[in-house]
Amino acid sequence: MKIWVVPMALTTMMLAACSPRVALEAPKEPITINLNVKIEHEIRVKVDKDLDALFDKESGLF
Amino acid sequence: MKKRLWTLAAALMLPLAAFAMTLDQAKSQGLLGEQPDGFLGVVKATPDAVALAQEINQKRRDAYLSIARKNGISLEQVAALAGQKAIERTAKGEYIKTPEGQWVKK
Repeated sequence: MKIWVVPMALTTMMLAACSPRVALEAPKEPITINLNVKIEHEIRVKVDKDLDALFDKESGLF
Repeated sequence: MKKRLWTLAAALMLPLAAFAMTLDQAKSQGLLGEQPDGFLGVVKATPDAVALAQEINQKRRDAYLSIARKNGISLEQVAALAGQKAIERTAKGEYIKTPEGQWVKK
């Protein structure tokens, strides 16, 4: 009976040691993705505005 | 002197008016249509329509390029966004080109 205590404790320790690492890595990705999307979105909105001005201007281009 | 000023004013206004009308005419007559790449395409090739498309596409390219430089993106990206917008704004009954390359009446 006592023989099981050591491996069980080890497993628990390993699981405990592993879980913080996973938790640390998880937030990295969404932050990077969000930044990229934000920059692209901002540029998109600015270009959209510039294009609207081009369309509305009496330039006869559209 | 006054007459000369009027002539100048008329000369300045004429190309703009003729230009705008011709593009609208060309579109409503089904000669020119909007493409997803942001440039005018020739649906029915008459010499006038081809010349007009060339002239306007050159001006569009210049305008796209300045917007692209201002925002630090490529000419193609600006042109594609413009194409999307132009197709959205196309009136019913006028021609638009599908991404597959076919002319359809909106």
